[in-house]
Amino acid sequence: MSQKIQLDKSEVLRYLGHKNQNFDKSIDAVIDGCMDEIVKISRYRYIYKVFDIKIGFESGQSCIELQGANLKLTGNDIYEHLRDCRRCAVMAATLGIETDNAIRIAQSTDMLKAVVLDACAADMIEKVCDLAESEIRSSAEESGYAINYRFSPGYGDLPITTQKSLLAALDAGRRIGLTLTDSSLMVPGKSVTAIIGFTKDYSVKPKKRGCSVCSMRKNCKFRKAGSTCGRN
Amino acid sequence: MDVIKHIKNKRLIFDGAMGTMLQAAGLEAGGLPEVYNIEHPDTVLEIHKKYVEAGADVITANTFQANALKLDGCGYSVQEIITAGVRLAKESGAEYTALDIGPLGQLMEPMGTMMFDEAYELFRQQLAAGERAGADIVLFETMSDLLEVKAAVLAARENTSLPVFVTMTFQEDGRTFVGCDPISAAVTLSGLRVDALGVNCSLGPSQLMPVIDKLLEYSRVPVMVQPNAGLPAIRGGRTVYDITPDEFSKYMSEIAEKGAAILGGCCGTTPEYIKRTVSAVSDIPFKIPARGKLTMASSGTNTVIFDRGVTVIGERINPTGKKKLKEKLREQDFGYLVGEAIAQKESGADILDVNCGLPEIDEARTLTRAVKEIQAAVDLPLQLDSSDKDAIEAAVRIYNGKPVINSVNGKTESMDAVFPVAQKYGAVVVGLCLDENGIPETAEGRLEIAERIVRRAADYGIPKEDIIIDCLVLTASAQQKLVIETIKAIRLVKEKLGVKTVLGVSNVSFGLPARPILNSVFLSAGFGAGLDSAIVNPMSEEIMRSFRAFKVLNNQDSDAGEYIARYADYKAEQQTAAAAKVPAGEMEGVGLKSMIIDGRRDLARSMTIELLKTKDPIRIINEHFIPALDVVGDRYENGTVFLPQLIQSAEAVKSGFEILKESSSAAGGGKGRIILATVKGDIHDIGKNIVKMLLENYGYDVIDLGKDVPPEEIVKAALENDIKLVGLSALMTTTVKSMKDTVAALKEAGSNAKIVVGGAVLNEEYVEFVGADYYGKDAGMTVKIANEVFGHNS
Repeated sequence: MSQKIQLDKSEVLRYLGHKNQNFDKSIDAVIDGCMDEIVKISRYRYIYKVFDIKIGFESGQSCIELQGANLKLTGNDIYEHLRDCRRCAVMAATLGIETDNAIRIAQSTDMLKAVVLDACAADMIEKVCDLAESEIRSSAEESGYAINYRFSPGYGDLPITTQKSLLAALDAGRRIGLTLTDSSLMVPGKSVTAIIGFTKDYSVKPKKRGCSVCSMRKNCKFRKAGSTCGRN
Repeated sequence: MDVIKHIKNKRLIFDGAMGTMLQAAGLEAGGLPEVYNIEHPDTVLEIHKKYVEAGADVITANTFQANALKLDGCGYSVQEIITAGVRLAKESGAEYTALDIGPLGQLMEPMGTMMFDEAYELFRQQLAAGERAGADIVLFETMSDLLEVKAAVLAARENTSLPVFVTMTFQEDGRTFVGCDPISAAVTLSGLRVDALGVNCSLGPSQLMPVIDKLLEYSRVPVMVQPNAGLPAIRGGRTVYDITPDEFSKYMSEIAEKGAAILGGCCGTTPEYIKRTVSAVSDIPFKIPARGKLTMASSGTNTVIFDRGVTVIGERINPTGKKKLKEKLREQDFGYLVGEAIAQKESGADILDVNCGLPEIDEARTLTRAVKEIQAAVDLPLQLDSSDKDAIEAAVRIYNGKPVINSVNGKTESMDAVFPVAQKYGAVVVGLCLDENGIPETAEGRLEIAERIVRRAADYGIPKEDIIIDCLVLTASAQQKLVIETIKAIRLVKEKLGVKTVLGVSNVSFGLPARPILNSVFLSAGFGAGLDSAIVNPMSEEIMRSFRAFKVLNNQDSDAGEYIARYADYKAEQQTAAAAKVPAGEMEGVGLKSMIIDGRRDLARSMTIELLKTKDPIRIINEHFIPALDVVGDRYENGTVFLPQLIQSAEAVKSGFEILKESSSAAGGGKGRIILATVKGDIHDIGKNIVKMLLENYGYDVIDLGKDVPPEEIVKAALENDIKLVGLSALMTTTVKSMKDTVAALKEAGSNAKIVVGGAVLNEEYVEFVGADYYGKDAGMTVKIANEVFGHNS
C-alpha cells in the first residue's frame, strides 16, 4: 500500500465551498502546502474481504447475511444495493491518526490551515477508497464478476451501528488501527467503510448511488447550492 | 519456579495463535473467539494442549477481547468468560497460564473518547477475574497506545500481584498505529517496572528485527517477541502467512541469540511453528543483554536521551512573573498554554517544563488538565514542575510516557514525598542542591547535597540515571562572588557522581541590563563544565544561538546541518530584521479595515499597533474590526468569498485582538459570555472552533468546554457563570441525542440560557427536536444570534 496518492486541487476547493470566487496567492499557497502535507503525513491503509451473501427477511425487514461472517445488513436500501448480487466486498480505509492529530493541532495555531487540511484529507480518503475499489474490481473480474459501488453504513436506512460488526468482521482494529467510539464514530476520523456488490450481470452499469440514499440529503451544503458532492 | 525467576535464568516459550486455530475450527469473521471458552470448551482445550505438546511453557488463555465493551451483548460476563478461559488454559497442563488482555478497542482521549479512569476500570475487571481464576501472569498484547498500556499496568499493579508482561504492535514504519516508537515504549514501560516488554503481531520476524534491536537496546527488563508467521496474503479467499515453520524457527533462533528472553508466536503460528522454535533455540545459551544506563524522558511517541548531547528545556509555561499566563490559568483557558507549548517546540525546545502553581487555584486539577492539553498538541516529553506532591502525583499518573519531575531537594521530607511517586511511575527527577540550610555557598557543599539525593533515590530503587542534578544559579547582581561556584559544582557533580545536570540559567542576570548576553555566556560556561541541559526561554535568539553553536562544537549537530540551515543567510537575516513595516499611506484608519477584509494577518497586526497609539481599543474594535467582519460576513453569505477567505479575515482580527489585549487586559471582550461545547460522544469540533473564533472577533468572551463534553459539565459551567447563551455542536445523527439530553439537563437545572445549536447533520427541523432556541447554520449566523440575545443589534 505504498502507492502515492495524488490529490485533486479542484476537489479540495470544492470541499472548501469554492465556486468561482477569486482568491489571492496566499490562500493558493496554503492549499498547495496542505495538499503536500496531507499526502506526506497520512499513513493510509485499507483492507477488504469478500463474502457470499444470503438474502432473507428478519422481523419484517429485508436482511442480508454475509456467509462466514458475524454480520447482518438490514434495511431496504442495502437490499436494493445487493439484491442482484451473490457476493459482496466489505472494505475499510483510513488515513491514520496522524491526519487527525495534524488537523487538531493546526486548530490551536492556524485555523485557516486546519480547515484546508481537513478538506485535503476529505479528498485523500476518497482517493484511497478509489484505490481499494479498483483492487476489489480487479479481484471481482478475475472470478467473473462486475461490481457496483460503495455503500456505507449511515446511508439511507442502513444503520450507522452496523459499523461495529462490520469493523469486527474485518478485524479492522488490529489490521489497520480503525476503532469505533460508543456513538459509532470512527477513529481515526478520516476513515470510510463500505459494501460493494459483486454481480454476474455485466449489463449492470456501476449505478450512481445518488443523493436519495444519503444521510446528509436534507442538510447538504452542495445540494443547497444546487450541486452535489460528486460522490455519486 | 515462579515465572519472574524463570525469565531471569532461562528462556520462556509462549504458545502461538489462538485466533488462527479457532478460525480453522469454524469461528466466523467478527465472531467473538472468547465465547468458545463456554460454548466449545473442548475445541479451546484441544488447541491449548497442542501447544503444550509443541513445547510451550506458557499457555495464553483465550481472553484477548474479554472486556466489558467487547463482550457487550454476547450473553456472558467478563467474569464468566475469563474464569472459563483461564481454567481451560490451566487444564492444558502448561507450566504457566497467562491471562491475555488486548486493547479495549476504543482510542484514548484526545484521539478518541476513552478516559484514563474508564480504561483503568475496564482492565481492573479483567485482571481481578483472571487472578481469581488462577492465572500466573498477565500479558497485555497487541497494544498501540502507551497511555492505554499505562492504565492497564497500573490496574494490574494496584489490584493484583500478577507479573506483568506487555507487548506492543509496530507497523512497517516502525511505529504503532498511534505513532509510538519502540524506544519510547521500552523507556516508558521499563519505567513502569513491568516484568517483561516486547513486540507482537503485525509483521513477521524478519520485518521486526529493527524493532527488536531497539527494544533490546533500551529496555531495562527482559524482552519478549511474538511475531506473526510472516506477512499475510489472501489465497483462495483465506488469509495465509508467508513463511514456513522452519523459516520461522530460524529467525527465532537469531532473535534468541540477540538476547530476547521470551519467545512465542502471533497470527498464523500453529503448534508446528512453536515446536520448531523450541527445538531450534534449545542449544542457544540464555543470556541477559547488557542494559544501557541512559538518562531518558519520553512522551508517548518521542524520547529525549540526555546522553546524546545538550537538551533545551523550555521554561515559558510557568506563571511566576507572567501576568497573562496567571490570568489564563485562573480562567482555565488552556488554549494559551498550548500555543506557548507549540511555539517553544517550533523554536527548538526538546522538553517543556510545565508549572501551574498559583495560590488560588486547584493545582492538581490544573496541572493534570494542562498535561493532557499539551500532550494533545506537542510530542515533546514534559517536565512536571510543582512543589505540591499531590499535583505531581496526579499529573504523573495520567502523563503519557516517562516524565521528568521538577523537583526534590536535599531535605528528607522532600525526597520522602516525591521519590515513591517517581519510583512507582518511573519518572526522572530533578534534584536541587539545597536543603534546610539553603543553598551551600561552595561547590563542595552542593556536591554533598547531590550525593545525598542520589543515595536516597537508590534507597527507593531509583537508579542514578533517573536523577538530574541542578547545581542552582545565584544572581550576579546580588551574589557575584558565588556565581562561579555553580560552574565548579557542575564539574564536581559530573565527575564524582556521574549523573546528568540541569540549570535554570536566567536567574544569573536578574537585575542587570541586557540579560540575554549574560544568560548566554553563562550557559556556555556551563556547557564547558559539562552541563547536560538547561531550563531556558527557547524563544530567546541569544540563548538558542548558544545551544546551536555548542551543538556544532560538541559534535551533536552532525555536519553542522541544523546550524547551516539556520544561519546560512546570517547577514541577510540581520538586515531584514526590521521588515514587515506598515506600508506608507496605509496608516490611516481605513487601511486596517481593508487589510482585515483582505485577510492580511501581519499587516493587520502592525497596523493595530500603530492605531493603538492614537485610539483606544474599544474604538478600534467598533470602527475597524467589526465593520470589516461585517463586510466579509456579508460577502461570505452572498457567495463572493469562500470559507478560507472568511477565516483568513477572522485570523487577521484575531491577531489584532492579541495586540489590544496585550495593551490592556480589559480590551476587547465584554460583550457577553457564551459557552461553546461539542456534545458528549462527538469529537468533531472544527466547526465549533470556527464559531468560537468569530464570536471572539466580535468581542464575546467564549468559555470553550471542548469536545465530548458531558451534559453535567455544561450545566455546571452555565450556572456558575450565569450564562445567557450556550452553543452546542454535533456532527453525527448519533450524537444529536446527546444534544437533546444536554438541552433537557440545562432546562431542568433551571438555567435560563438561550441555546443555539449547529453542526453538519443539523437543520431547522432539529431545533425543535432537541429543544433549542436557535439554529446557527454557520459562524456568521451564530454571531447574529449572539447579537440578538445580548442586545447588540445595530
